[in-house]
Amino acid sequence: MSKLAAVHSALLLKKLNRRLKSHAAIIAIAVSGLSIASAMQTEDASAGKSQSGVIIRYGHFQEPPCLYGGWVQQWYLQRQFSDNLVARAEDGTILPWLATAWTVSDDRKKYTFQIKPDVKFTDGTVLDAQAIVDNINGWLSDNAELQNPTAGPYLRSLFESAAATGPLTLKITLKTPFEPLLNVFAQSSQGILSPTALKRGKAVNCESPIGSGAFIVEKWNRGKNVIFRRNPNYNSAPANAKHQGPAYVEGIEWRFLADPTIRYGSLLTGESDVVYHIPAVNWQDANSRFKVVRHITGGTPLRLALFSARPPFDDMRVRQAFAYASDRSAAVQAAFLGSLPYEGNFSLSQSSPEYIRELSKSYSYDVDKANKLLDKAGWTERDANGIRSKNGNPLIIRITYTNAFSPPDGDQVLQIIQQQAKAAGFDVRLQPTNQADFWAGKNLGPNDYEVLPLYWVAPGAEIYRISYKPDLNGVRNPFNPSRYQDLTLWDIIQKAEQVAEKPERIALYQQAERRIVENAPSLSYTVLDVTLASADNVKDIWLDGGSVGEPVFSDAYFTDKK
Amino acid sequence: MTYATTSAGNEKAFVTARVLTAARTFPVLVYIATAFIAFFFIAAVEQKLLQTHDPLALDLMSPLQAPSRAHWLGTDQSGRDLYSRIVAGTGQSLSIGLGATALSLTVALILGVTAGLSGGWIDNVLSRFFDVLFALPTLFLALLFVSLFGTTVSTLIVAVGIGTSPGYARMVRVQVLSVKATGYVEAAKVLGHSPQRILFNHILPNAIGPLATMFTLGIGQAIIWASGLSFLGLGVAPPSSEWGALLNAGRNYVIYAWWLEIMPGIAIAIFALSVTVIGQYVQQRLEGRIDLP
Repeated sequence: MSKLAAVHSALLLKKLNRRLKSHAAIIAIAVSGLSIASAMQTEDASAGKSQSGVIIRYGHFQEPPCLYGGWVQQWYLQRQFSDNLVARAEDGTILPWLATAWTVSDDRKKYTFQIKPDVKFTDGTVLDAQAIVDNINGWLSDNAELQNPTAGPYLRSLFESAAATGPLTLKITLKTPFEPLLNVFAQSSQGILSPTALKRGKAVNCESPIGSGAFIVEKWNRGKNVIFRRNPNYNSAPANAKHQGPAYVEGIEWRFLADPTIRYGSLLTGESDVVYHIPAVNWQDANSRFKVVRHITGGTPLRLALFSARPPFDDMRVRQAFAYASDRSAAVQAAFLGSLPYEGNFSLSQSSPEYIRELSKSYSYDVDKANKLLDKAGWTERDANGIRSKNGNPLIIRITYTNAFSPPDGDQVLQIIQQQAKAAGFDVRLQPTNQADFWAGKNLGPNDYEVLPLYWVAPGAEIYRISYKPDLNGVRNPFNPSRYQDLTLWDIIQKAEQVAEKPERIALYQQAERRIVENAPSLSYTVLDVTLASADNVKDIWLDGGSVGEPVFSDAYFTDKK
Repeated sequence: MTYATTSAGNEKAFVTARVLTAARTFPVLVYIATAFIAFFFIAAVEQKLLQTHDPLALDLMSPLQAPSRAHWLGTDQSGRDLYSRIVAGTGQSLSIGLGATALSLTVALILGVTAGLSGGWIDNVLSRFFDVLFALPTLFLALLFVSLFGTTVSTLIVAVGIGTSPGYARMVRVQVLSVKATGYVEAAKVLGHSPQRILFNHILPNAIGPLATMFTLGIGQAIIWASGLSFLGLGVAPPSSEWGALLNAGRNYVIYAWWLEIMPGIAIAIFALSVTVIGQYVQQRLEGRIDLP
């Protein structure tokens, strides 16, 4: 019911938005009214599903160093214990969550939010406008304890102030318009945490963060699991939740089962109720035995960032040659056994609204083209093994990778690229790096790699601000691993961010998308997906497709007694 | 001249006869083990002689093919011939096994002999050092090395070599202490032989006898340790087909493509068992439990 209402709200919002741009308050009130009404209805409908003593045993892949932060693995966890200002539906519509209504000024720089009343963090602190102001100011401050590694790169240069103009009225002022602002607020990394708890310091908060979400972090047993228990007073589910009120199950045992065979095996043997990321080899089996839900994340797909600040990839022809030199489509088919599609558009993921499908066929396998481009670029000498060189420097390409950013089956793709690129004269060397070393910067120095597989999830093309912002005024963008410096591209991105009209904004983002593909600062091979397989007796687990596919357990229940 | 030639010929015939007689008395297992080791040795030295395919050649149309006449041990995820990859990985695996064991025994010999001969505080310090190293699991020491110095064949050799040396060092020390107390060493001292002469002529030859056995046994063990590290993703970088790396690459496919996991495992097991059989045979010979005729 709430989903239906949310869709109605979204449609209403769209219609009215066209007619009454400057009267958004009315819209917001309408949306909020619908949302509250639907919440009341769903609460009734869901009565009786609450299951005491029942926990969901969830087998997850990676264990992050902190239970919240900028890595998507942390977002998944944060989605369980914190709430966001707004939610985002799968079609991109922004829905109420902690904010029940909002208005945007005519100059698109001022956002005024009405905050839901009677919401408390699980430590008893009141969740009001000031709590949200404290969070936002912390995200964008110089205090490393409070900084938010996702909100920071998006908003720091645009943000002017956040203020509580009333107990439940929040006002955010920007220096320049930034239309994706609400998309940014909808991502789980921007979940609101208790300002009282944040004062305990990052180390404590990493272990036991306090939000207002459907679950409470009871204990993190490092290397093993995180135990969540139900928040019995939960009253702030987003408008796209399947019900309002506390979660049905009493808790979640969030187990870290890094080995994919063991993780999937735990579902087969009944040791887990739900597991994350099904290995390619088990994909068909999982679909025949279990309920499988999948979300392809927005933002950038799984891409290979090509280090363009020095030879050989400072020459666009060499980057393009590298893209042509391998049959990544066949590699994806072989490595993922048909469980994941090939993606040739390395600029943007196919679930992003700005995605251009025709670009997915960019740089199809063509060794002749690769050879011609390398010849033109001056890499004409070859040694006995066929490896090209220029001025005595061999064409060596080092790929640094870790399972933090490259799925286990993806290693095979890199090996195939390594072997195939040899025919064009590339000497590709793989540098597998364990996760701890990777986070410590091993094989990541400016002279340590030419290729880095990675992704950055986001709802859509707003990711360009992070991934392709050039170094400006002496400030290095650390999130641009390609080191691609394109001021024209940056100009297009900024224009897109400021355009209020959606079609015009999408057109500008697509202009940027084409430019990125043409210049090949990256190349891609497949999408990044979030996939869950669950036992038959577990119902209503869903992925937050409006954000980046975080698993949502607050609506889940078992159809039989465990 | 004639006499000399006849004498040399007789001697040669005698030696040949003796070897043949001895060979007839070898247990069957020793023959089998020797044959396997010979196979692996050829694979390590001249892999192309034994390969049926290019171990790196991709065939993306034939991934995960079961063992067949075309691919004796099947193909991997990228359609590469598994038999040829196992053969190609033999050199690296054996290098690690031999290198690590040699390094381990060298370190053990230096430290063990020093401790055993010196006695007093030097012995105490070295013995406690062995105790400390012994308290740390071999794999932990090896992991430490790999983490610090990266994943190359030479790092793996050093990692496994250092990791397994404390056990050998203790053994050498005990051997040196027992030989040092024997009558012939005492006699040599009384006769005024120099310490160097006593060490090299009497103590070392008698103390390192058991180490020859340990060397053969250690090679198999070192390969297993190195494979363990590769299995954990800390081995040689792809596309190396070092045996442990093959095991690691195949583990997700164990239910659907069993050959990826079983075949490299069998290669490791056969090699380790073969060197163990030879090692045990040598040990029995040295202990006089088996006599040549």
